[in-house]
Amino acid sequence: MTLVDEVEVEVDVEVEASVPVKKVPYGDIFEASRAGDVERLRYLLETGVNVNARDQWDSVALYYACLVGHLDAARMLLENGAICSEHTFDGDRCHYAALNLKVRKLLKAFEARPPPLEPLQAALRDTFLACVSSTQGSICCHFPPDVVFIVQGKRIQTHRVILSARSPFFKKKFTADWKDRNEVRFSKEKLSYPALYSLIHFFYSDRLEIAIDDMEDLVRICKVCRCESLHKVIEKELIHQKYADYKSLGNVDNSQKRYILQGLSLPEEDRLPAALHRILLTALSNSTHESGQEDKLISMMDAMQMAKSVDDLADVCVKVDRNIFRCHQVILASRSEYFRARLSHMKNFNEGKHDLSVDTLPCVEEHDLSKEAFEKMIEYMYTDRLQDINPDQVCIHPYNLCDSGLSLCHLILICFEQAEEMFDVASRYLLFPLKRAVADVLLPHLEMVSLDEHCHWLILADMYGVFKIREYCLDTIACNFETFADSKEFRAMLLTLPPPSGDSSLRTTVPSIPGSPLNTDQGNLLDDLREKWLAIEAAELDKRDESALQFDKRLEMLMLVAEQEQSSDNTDSDYTRAFLPNHYPDLK
Amino acid sequence: MSTQKKRAFQIEAFKHRVVVDPKYAEKTWKVLEHAIHEIYNHNASGLSFEELYRNAYNMVLHKFGEKLYTGLVTTMTAHLKEISQSIESAQGEIFLDELNRKWVDHNKALQMIRDILMYMDRTFIPSNHKTPVHELGLNLWRDVVIHSSKTQARLLDTLLELVLRERNGEVINRGLMRNIIKMLMDLGLPVYQHDFEKHFLDVSANFYCCESQKFIETCDCGDYLKKAERRLNEELERVSHYLDPRSESKITNVVEKEMIESHMHTLVHMENSGLVSMLVDDKYEDLQRMYNLFRRVPTGLTIVKEVMTSFIRDTGKQLIMDPERLRDPVDFVQRLLDLKDKYDKVITMSFNNDKTFQNALNSSFEYFINLNARSPEFISLFVDDKLRRGLKGVGEEDVEIVLDKVMMLFRYLQEKDVFEKYYKQHLAKRLLSGKTISDDAERSLIVKLKTECGYQFTSKLEGMFTDMKTSHDTMQGFYAGQGTELGDGPTLSVQVLTTGSWPTQPSPPCNLPQEILGVCDKFRTYYLGTHNGRRLSWQTNMGTADLKATFGKGQKHELNVSTYQMCVLMLFNNVEQLTCKEIEQATAIPMSDLRRCLQSLACVKGKNVLRKEPMSKDIAEDDAFFFNDKFTSKFFKVKIGTVVAQRESEPENLETRQRVEEDRKPQIEAAIVRIMKSRRTLDHNNIVAEVTKQLQSRFLPNPVVIKKRIESLIEREFLERDKVDRKLYRYLA
Repeated sequence: MTLVDEVEVEVDVEVEASVPVKKVPYGDIFEASRAGDVERLRYLLETGVNVNARDQWDSVALYYACLVGHLDAARMLLENGAICSEHTFDGDRCHYAALNLKVRKLLKAFEARPPPLEPLQAALRDTFLACVSSTQGSICCHFPPDVVFIVQGKRIQTHRVILSARSPFFKKKFTADWKDRNEVRFSKEKLSYPALYSLIHFFYSDRLEIAIDDMEDLVRICKVCRCESLHKVIEKELIHQKYADYKSLGNVDNSQKRYILQGLSLPEEDRLPAALHRILLTALSNSTHESGQEDKLISMMDAMQMAKSVDDLADVCVKVDRNIFRCHQVILASRSEYFRARLSHMKNFNEGKHDLSVDTLPCVEEHDLSKEAFEKMIEYMYTDRLQDINPDQVCIHPYNLCDSGLSLCHLILICFEQAEEMFDVASRYLLFPLKRAVADVLLPHLEMVSLDEHCHWLILADMYGVFKIREYCLDTIACNFETFADSKEFRAMLLTLPPPSGDSSLRTTVPSIPGSPLNTDQGNLLDDLREKWLAIEAAELDKRDESALQFDKRLEMLMLVAEQEQSSDNTDSDYTRAFLPNHYPDLK
Repeated sequence: MSTQKKRAFQIEAFKHRVVVDPKYAEKTWKVLEHAIHEIYNHNASGLSFEELYRNAYNMVLHKFGEKLYTGLVTTMTAHLKEISQSIESAQGEIFLDELNRKWVDHNKALQMIRDILMYMDRTFIPSNHKTPVHELGLNLWRDVVIHSSKTQARLLDTLLELVLRERNGEVINRGLMRNIIKMLMDLGLPVYQHDFEKHFLDVSANFYCCESQKFIETCDCGDYLKKAERRLNEELERVSHYLDPRSESKITNVVEKEMIESHMHTLVHMENSGLVSMLVDDKYEDLQRMYNLFRRVPTGLTIVKEVMTSFIRDTGKQLIMDPERLRDPVDFVQRLLDLKDKYDKVITMSFNNDKTFQNALNSSFEYFINLNARSPEFISLFVDDKLRRGLKGVGEEDVEIVLDKVMMLFRYLQEKDVFEKYYKQHLAKRLLSGKTISDDAERSLIVKLKTECGYQFTSKLEGMFTDMKTSHDTMQGFYAGQGTELGDGPTLSVQVLTTGSWPTQPSPPCNLPQEILGVCDKFRTYYLGTHNGRRLSWQTNMGTADLKATFGKGQKHELNVSTYQMCVLMLFNNVEQLTCKEIEQATAIPMSDLRRCLQSLACVKGKNVLRKEPMSKDIAEDDAFFFNDKFTSKFFKVKIGTVVAQRESEPENLETRQRVEEDRKPQIEAAIVRIMKSRRTLDHNNIVAEVTKQLQSRFLPNPVVIKKRIESLIEREFLERDKVDRKLYRYLA
């Protein structure tokens, strides 16, 4: 998944930059931005430098890019989360310094539509905002909050697990004196609602936005909550704001000035995924991994023991393949619509039928799922990344996903069959971003696989709706059509597919309007294959219909051949074998 | 490790082998179909959500989405048909209850089904352009249950009947009603509008048409309005309780149209209780109700406004044309003010301070006040009266209030210059006779006039005040310098008036008595010594004097008289008897003034310090006058006024008018020249329009007069007619 694709900025990037682009092979992010050296910049961003850092002259990288007018560099910085809101100090300077209207237009466009948060942060923020809006009366459609703070007469509804994950203070409080309370009333006048709201919003979304006037309150709250790195950053910024000079805003009153902080500006261990990862590890360590024990009673006893010893704030158990995982409803429900529905229907359906009243936590059971796949999935749900959990499992290639924009996702994936199961899990639990992430990892490995595996992956990709893989396979097959036509496996596959529609209206002799919805629809595989083939083979546009007919005839022939082969070769499960994962050589 | 792996493979293998099973889809669908049945039968607690979801997921995954979807449609339709039948069979009252219960059940079931089939909802439905499950459920409910031939009409009838019963005062189950209406709204706005709202509005229109007819025949206007208001509130309450908020404007429109708009004229003009009688009887509440109700219909307020305006005009006209009233100007103006107060109160209390009503009130006042040409005079007299004596004992604020009210009347005047003229006269009298009560009140009125009409209007009035002040200082200087020389002669108090600021008529000075002349001459030398190049002329017709007189029996009195009277009385120091003729010769007082003066000295009972022969009211030239020895009075100080009516007599009035007309001429000419100077050329009509506009704040110039002025200017070669277009004037610089 790339962030680049999702932000449509209608600014024509000038191909011939007015300023000759200099290469700064050893420069830092500021030098690279000033020089407009996009490659260096990309490399730096991939290594994870803080895009919003200031140099000794109080300037951010985006400022230099705007000042010199490097549109592509500026765009790259913006796409990587550089702050350009006009009411912040850095954004104000960028607007003020912008070389020309194009740069300013770019800034405006990104201010109006900032790049979307990553799936985890976005999902949790939605949950939080739904809780906020539900305070106004309507019933919360998402997962209900389990603790309410009342500050200065206003309510903030939150979830214990998130607060505990982000702040040691809350963690302590929730295990101690707030343990059984679901409403906490702060009567101190000093505690300001906007500051606390901003902080809790930050806890959910890794993005802090606060009015300058409220920053002092926030510093105080951070100190109490022991969010040390955030505290440090805000305190520094507070001093900085005293001397900050907003140039283009002129005499805007203080209440409009804002400060925005991206999670990226904090050390990695203080960001949301890392925090949730810690929570996950605690929860997992408390979960029972049943190893051949058949006696349920004993495992129940174990579970009860654990519940007493450690409090990981888990509020639901998921039983997968005789293992019990302790999880958090809010995260499951925020990330997956399936779990949201599932958890909300606990009463309507017979869910506790195994009567596993483990330490009074509700328990749901998932079938048809391997423990490994579930572990990977919840790791992805909690942290937005996939990592090798079992160190003894063989890894084919450690692969770094940075070039696709997800610098956080250090995906180390594993073997193809696990990828297949991950596809299944992702679509079953409606975790569509996970599907894309797995596809990104898988794609480079597909170059090395055999013909029949291409067929296999094509079928799978079509089934699970993984467009990237599907496109890739179709392209490969279309390019090497003759080679594939010769193979038995391909011909066998043809029989399993629905025949091409033959509807010439589907054939795009006229190029369709870019962005029209029809293109993305999952259509008939063979129709799509024909399209690809036509695109590659038939250079002459006016002969497209003829060529298409030829192709259809060719397919018919191939299918006849396949049928003959099948009837002669009467081992009936043979053709299906081609698509089974068993087909892979066992790696061990 | 390897065991784990194998298990994973087995699961995968199993999953894909199901495709091989040709009956797989059929089997799975049976499971799901059974689940849907169970859900509708409230038996869901025996089902496993996870298993059902997995089944549905696998069906869609293996391209049986179409089968699943059509299966869902068939099953749900079948269930809804059953439900529909059970609803149809419900008898009487319980029909709505049954419908509501089934609807709740259906919603709950629908939500469960949607969650089970969520994977289909997310992937299969968008890519195949089908209706999402939830919407599908609603559509099916609409088509199968609500639009079934029996239910549709019955539902509508039941709902409308309930509304009718509520209108007739019965209590109905509003909760149930709300749920049913909510159901219609959930099914989509068109369903609500078409199946309920349209008919509801029609029925309401009928109902209110009949009701309003009944009311209008039996009730008077106030009662009718009360009833209409109550009905309107009832409908608003109904909307807020169980209808769609968007219906609010529609149903209120119906009520407004039937209850108010169609009977508007009847109501306003209703005898003995319509708008006029409400105004007469000060029925603020009724008026307010009328205002609030009529405001809702397009032309309602216009009608109210028109009727009110014409009524005010009529009353005002009656007041202003009543010859009885004209006798007492103070009372007359007081009545005007009361009238204004009354309507101001009506507008603030009942008409929500509506600007258009205020404008209507103002325009009607302007209309009738200017009907009487003497209004400016009367208003000035009223002020004079108030400032002379009326304001005794009232606080500062009250003075301000009275003055503000007067200013309001002043604003209505078209001939402001006439007012100015009178005001100047009255002010001069007040100042010279020292009868003003409060300097502050005088000044505050001047400030008000200034803000209203500009500096020019009041510059002379202010000049009068300055004169009074400097005179005071001069007199102090005079006595400080020469006090010792004067001895115990008569005390002189001189007011030096600037010519032009004061409304003085040139009058020949009378012969002052010797005693006074000496002091006068001293003052003259003193004054001219300090101020070079000025000319002083005595205005003997305006002064006053205090005389100490001893009558028979040694009675002493102090007489407060005018200068003329003083001159006359001083003559009797030396002689016993004088005829009128002789007095005239001795004093050189103009005959008309002398007559008046003698009249006041001899003919007013209780103040007759002179005796006249023969004893008659009128003064003839040959009448003889004696010093009245027998004069008695309870007071030590006797004030002898001059017999002058406060109001001007007819000829004087004409004279003032003439002078005003004269004064207007140069103003009109100045305006014409100003306009032409900037425009160079202009046609006749435009000049008239512009001049009228410029002078509006002072008076309304007559077009004929303007034409005459233009002609005069042409004669004096300020302007010329265009040679081609005779209507066009040119400015000659």
